Amino acid sequence: MIETRSLPTDYVFKPGEIKTSSGKTLRTDEMIINMGPQHPSTHGVLRLEVVLDGEIVVDVIPHIGYLHRCFEKHCEHMTNYQQVIPYADRMDYLASMNNDLGYALAVERLLKIEVPPRVEYIRVIMSELQRIASHLIAIGTYGIDIGAFTPFLWCFRDRERILDLFEMTCGARLLYNYIWIGGLSHDLPPKFVEMAKDFCAYFKPNIKELNDVLTFNQIFVKRTANVGVLPKDVAINYGCSGPMLRASGANWDLRRDDPYSVYDKFEWQPEIGKGEMGTVGDCWDRHIVRIREMEQSVKIIEQALASIPEGNVQAAIPKRIRPEPGEIYIRTESPRGELGFYVVSDGTGSPYRIKARAPSFVNLSVLPEISRGSMIADLVAIAASTDIVLGEVDR
Amino acid sequence: MGSNGTMIRKKDLTIWQKTYIPEIVKGLRLTISQMFKPKFTYNYPEERFKPAASFRGRPVLAEENGVERCVACGLCSRVCPALAIEVQASETELEKERYPIKFEINMVRCIFCGFCEEVCPEEAIIMSNEYLLVFNNQEEAVFGKDKLLTPVEKLHDRLEFLREHR
Ligand code: SF4
Ligand code: SF4
Repeated sequence: MIETRSLPTDYVFKPGEIKTSSGKTLRTDEMIINMGPQHPSTHGVLRLEVVLDGEIVVDVIPHIGYLHRCFEKHCEHMTNYQQVIPYADRMDYLASMNNDLGYALAVERLLKIEVPPRVEYIRVIMSELQRIASHLIAIGTYGIDIGAFTPFLWCFRDRERILDLFEMTCGARLLYNYIWIGGLSHDLPPKFVEMAKDFCAYFKPNIKELNDVLTFNQIFVKRTANVGVLPKDVAINYGCSGPMLRASGANWDLRRDDPYSVYDKFEWQPEIGKGEMGTVGDCWDRHIVRIREMEQSVKIIEQALASIPEGNVQAAIPKRIRPEPGEIYIRTESPRGELGFYVVSDGTGSPYRIKARAPSFVNLSVLPEISRGSMIADLVAIAASTDIVLGEVDR
Repeated sequence: MGSNGTMIRKKDLTIWQKTYIPEIVKGLRLTISQMFKPKFTYNYPEERFKPAASFRGRPVLAEENGVERCVACGLCSRVCPALAIEVQASETELEKERYPIKFEINMVRCIFCGFCEEVCPEEAIIMSNEYLLVFNNQEEAVFGKDKLLTPVEKLHDRLEFLREHR
């Protein structure tokens, strides 16, 4: 049984009977369908319960939890703080470096240790490369949801170059376990700086190509402009963050507004949606914000590579991690938004409580609000433009 | 649509534009230019990806002169976040005095984090470059000493890498 729920106030649906031209009587009624958990456009195991009036979406109820792995409870059972890192990797598996960074920063702040500047620079380079890789997937899969197959393959081709860089550095292509508390697992290999510079030079023209084929394609613009408009006040009220919030016109980026690591040393600016193709905060704005963020990330990487200091990356790694009793909340800007780690220590060697504020989870909560009243085909475009990763929504 | 986002109606097009030939040529130029770019895919399974020394594949036990290096200290089993390793120690006549009578890694549990390799005092457990792991059932996935022992010569590259970068 589906429980009754209240409909949006401006919606009028009159169940009843209609006569067709051939004289038949048809009963009209709401229809409830399930989209997912196996639907490819839900990007994982998300189930959307959609209430439909013909083709018009009356309501959407996201059902989550298919990928719940008890991340937070698991952390309490670890024998030390370091062991949480491979699990933090697996939260948002498309942006592992950013998750590691958030967690490592939180524990470092609890321990009150300083990390060497070289570590900070490498961390920034890695998380910006990871941001590009993550946005490439968001853009590629968005294209495929709208029906453009080629950009998807191009995005994966470019992402592969980034994964090669990561593999060269730490030995894994997806779940790195690279950023450790107080340092890094390995130093950069000798050729890394050169190869990363090559990548930046190679990648910049590719963004333009991607724009030509996808972003300014008339079919793509028609499918995304003025669709799923998220006004600024709604975005703020729902607690959206990251590209979702910035596309709605709010100039808010934690890398600039609450700087962590060494982000304040570089020249760059947050990208906000301007409503160039339609309304501010529509799906196209969210797409273009991601594209422009990649350009900004390339800028940051180039500056960081040019000024990376020498030093030992493992000097500050503590032998035993035993923070004083206390608690800390650290927020970082992951590719999806504000990723927060709340860590409580009771003075023993393992965390007492860890809470992760997952940006995807919060961004998903606004989906019913922005998809009411749209066509069912647009629901795919809207859901994909929120760029959720179910590993992070369910944790 | 023009690149500035304005709508173009069909009646506004010139005859030359209505034939769509310029657009088709433009599109085909992009397609054909892609055909001459270098390939970036592998012809798997004929062509296999060769991991570098930095690669973290499945963990193996190093075997030197016919015996394992491991001294069954149990550190790896303690540090493993996934609780994948089981070690049972026993005594031996050899110089190292202790050896693992049973050493099992459950490859379904292992998350390839590399902590075991990092913590081992004897360089006995090492991440190899093998990544093809297929099992038909859960029992098969528990690798005992028979599957884990690997001659140390085969792990040469990885050991070099560890000494250089640790
Ligand atoms: S593999 Fe290394 S860490 Fe594990 S029990 Fe043997 S000697 Fe100890
Ligand atoms: S690689 Fe990690 S998960 Fe696998 S056996 Fe070693 S410590 Fe355990």
